[in-house]
Amino acid sequence: MDEFQEILQDFLVESFELIEQLDQDLVELESRPDDLELLNGIFRVAHTVKGASSFLNFDVLTHLTHHMEDVLNKARHGELAITAEVMDVVLESIDLMKSLLSRIRDTSSDGGIEVGECVKRLDKISGGSGDVHTPVAAAPIVEEKPVEEPKVNQDEPDYDSMGADEVEAEIERLLKERQDQDKAKRAAKIAAGESVPEAPPEPMDEVESKPAPKPVPAPAPVAVQASPRAMAKAKQDEDDAKAAAPATRAPTVVEQTIRVDVKRLDHLMNLIGELVLAKNRLIKINVDVEERYEGEEFLEELNQVVSIVSLVTTDLQIAVMKTRMLPIGKVFNKFPRMIRDLSRELNKKIELEISGEDTELDKSIVEEIGDPLVHIIRNSCDHGVETPDIRLAAGKTESGTITLKAYNEGNAIVIQIDDDGKGLDPEMLKNKSVEKGIITEAEADVLSDKEAFALIFKPGFSTAAAVTSVSGRGVGMDVVKTNIEKLNGIIDIESEIGVGTSMKLKIPLTLAIIQALLVGVQEEHYAIPLASVLETVRISKDEIYTVENRSVMRLRDDVLSLVHIGDIFEVERILDSGEHAYVVVLGLGSSKLGLIVDTLVGQEEIVIKSMGDYLKGIEGIAGATIRGDGGVTLIVDVAALMQIAKGVKAKAMVEDTSAGSKREKSRASDYKVMIVDDSKTDRMIMRKALESLGVTIVEAGDGQEALNVLKQGDHNFDAMLIDIEMPRMDGYTLAGEIKKYNKYKNLPLIAVTSRTGKSDRMRGVESGMVEYITKPYSADYLSSVVQRNVNFKSEFL
Amino acid sequence: MSDKLKQIINKQGEQQIGSTEHSADIVQLVGFIIGEEEYAVPILTIQEIIKPIRWTRVPQTPAYVLGVFNLRGSVIPLIDLRTKFGLRPLKHSDETRFFVLKQGDEVAGFVIDRLTMAIRIKKSDIGAAPDTIAADDSMIAGVGKQAGRILTILKVDKLLARDF
Repeated sequence: MDEFQEILQDFLVESFELIEQLDQDLVELESRPDDLELLNGIFRVAHTVKGASSFLNFDVLTHLTHHMEDVLNKARHGELAITAEVMDVVLESIDLMKSLLSRIRDTSSDGGIEVGECVKRLDKISGGSGDVHTPVAAAPIVEEKPVEEPKVNQDEPDYDSMGADEVEAEIERLLKERQDQDKAKRAAKIAAGESVPEAPPEPMDEVESKPAPKPVPAPAPVAVQASPRAMAKAKQDEDDAKAAAPATRAPTVVEQTIRVDVKRLDHLMNLIGELVLAKNRLIKINVDVEERYEGEEFLEELNQVVSIVSLVTTDLQIAVMKTRMLPIGKVFNKFPRMIRDLSRELNKKIELEISGEDTELDKSIVEEIGDPLVHIIRNSCDHGVETPDIRLAAGKTESGTITLKAYNEGNAIVIQIDDDGKGLDPEMLKNKSVEKGIITEAEADVLSDKEAFALIFKPGFSTAAAVTSVSGRGVGMDVVKTNIEKLNGIIDIESEIGVGTSMKLKIPLTLAIIQALLVGVQEEHYAIPLASVLETVRISKDEIYTVENRSVMRLRDDVLSLVHIGDIFEVERILDSGEHAYVVVLGLGSSKLGLIVDTLVGQEEIVIKSMGDYLKGIEGIAGATIRGDGGVTLIVDVAALMQIAKGVKAKAMVEDTSAGSKREKSRASDYKVMIVDDSKTDRMIMRKALESLGVTIVEAGDGQEALNVLKQGDHNFDAMLIDIEMPRMDGYTLAGEIKKYNKYKNLPLIAVTSRTGKSDRMRGVESGMVEYITKPYSADYLSSVVQRNVNFKSEFL
Repeated sequence: MSDKLKQIINKQGEQQIGSTEHSADIVQLVGFIIGEEEYAVPILTIQEIIKPIRWTRVPQTPAYVLGVFNLRGSVIPLIDLRTKFGLRPLKHSDETRFFVLKQGDEVAGFVIDRLTMAIRIKKSDIGAAPDTIAADDSMIAGVGKQAGRILTILKVDKLLARDF
């Protein structure tokens, strides 16, 4: 589509919207003819349409609207009383304007509708002689009227205001014009389609019931009353034209758009969010059901339904997201002008190259991204691109180039701003920062070039020696950083002295539903927005070093500072975290941080939910989400987390050695033994066997129950007797779970089972069992094994 | 301040005595136990009462904020009233309930030890909170006396206000 067509489309969409409003205003104006506000509104419409149509060379439309504007202008300044007669002509001209617009939409030309009479009358009202020359539009490029179409149709607007002679002359003139047009049309060999109704702007029935020419002016009450009907009709005709248009020819295609309140879209987005959560939950349940009923036939069907639901949900989510998408061009459009002004102001020669303006982004992000981009571009103009003489001296072209580029990269959009200016000097940046007290000299020494570039985002930093009105107040760039981080975005700077600077903003496509990495620490889970995750690394504990009270690790060529998620979120260390850990490398803006977690759970689509006013603004928490199992998982605020991390001292992997000093046993009942068996009889047998010892006994019916008893921590057990075959959780699993807890590491677990195979014994040892008693057993044997394992003091016997 | 308040309370008392007894003079409350004492909140502020469900701890909050829980798709804060009232936390039992209170847009769940009953009480049977407590900061809206027991009526807006 060429540029003209694009402008034309915008013009039409805008005009029809204005007219929509106008229709309402006119209805009101009928009841309140002296309402200045309404008149002003109508005036503005005429003015807008005039401006645009003259630009687009629609002479007839311009001509008409120009005179409308005159009249309305006088009316709103009180120089002209709004009489019924005036109203009449105004209404007529508006109807004419509408038909002209419909005509333009259908044929890209405003020819074929006679406005001369109306204009004359408008001119008379506004005090002119009424003798105006009406331009005749060039023949439409694409002709659309079939020959048979009665000509009078389009002249109706003027009928009730014309004298008999005038009508006669008009018809003749029109006939001639029409014949010429028809000739041109035939020559163009464009197949005439079925008749497309013109929009008769004036009420038809009016003309038919009173065929005799009426004196000028027309009786006001009739005309005024009729106008809404006429409008309705005109509208209907528009619709007809719309419907017929594509079938017969290729008129200007008007964008079929509806304006929708953003709130409704937000609501829709919320509902989709709920659906996504339900979908996640369904998938989870499906997996559980699959495990439990492995091999059953109905699973197949369930699987199908679940996958269809999840597929449709995903599609639906994308579709709704798309309704909220706006091309980033909306933001880019203002930059050419800005660059022009700036280059003049700064006496530099700068060219702006824009590409990828069609790349789409969520509306809320488009709104937020404008300011940061303004700051960055201003900065590039002011600090980046040199003055022409410097450029020439450096052997560059006289005019500098700033390239603004947007493109998609996975689930994110990248906006890249490049300039071919002088580039950033890391040494200079460091010196400046030290000078301004932003960093200490010691800190400056260890900064890499990239980290030095990031200094420009520090509050209170300004590199320009002279503060100009353009930038250099030292506020711009840190605002950029805050804004981009608010959008979960990342800034990356690359620069080379004398060659130029390149800034990349990587921003997620949407805010409400995000991809997240779920991580586990002890028994808690946290969601980290995937946009901020650069990579994950599995490390062993001896790869962690401590430098100046901070944990660091070597990641390829870089040194990465580390912090344990448990230290940030005050997680109690109950479970043994093992020899290995995972480091989630977080990147935000240009800073990086390694977050140590116990486990990586996986990647999941999550919906951000607010935690309400009560828990708003908790440091390090951006919100919460509901997981597939119905539980709530907190979402990490990466920016805040990085801030908190600075204050966390190194103890990233400190082992919790306080194993809990064993209390001295003063009598037999101080010993506690848990019996875990699903059979009541078996529990009874074990209880009987141990009763004689006088130890306290706690029973549990299966592994899950036993684990819950342990978790509650009410008892300090000295040993556990565990059956292997149990529902819900078997003995091996239970043993494995228990061994995860630091404080139960040394708790003797004794298997009591009828399984006698060697592999069973091996499994028992692997899962941490110390003894293996096979059923049947003698009471004495059981008792002695327990005594041995709890270090039973013989004096209690 | 407290003088002025007394005046207002007295005035309210007079009004209550003066008016004839009809439904407008009856306040409906729901009573519950925390520790040894019985408390009550207006029945209309209760969105629902549920049995304890799983919740997620939220870091950087005072001890009485247990965390958040999922109530049919909404994430709602959970506050332990025992801890908030300075009592030792207790393990949840079969009688423990989550009171979901709502005022305006503010919703939160409160852990209580035990539910007692719905109570209809005459306004005239509700006395002012003890003077010793600074009136504005107090969470107590009044003290209700009925059939030999004493109810502490709590201010829901104060319960729902974040105070950390």
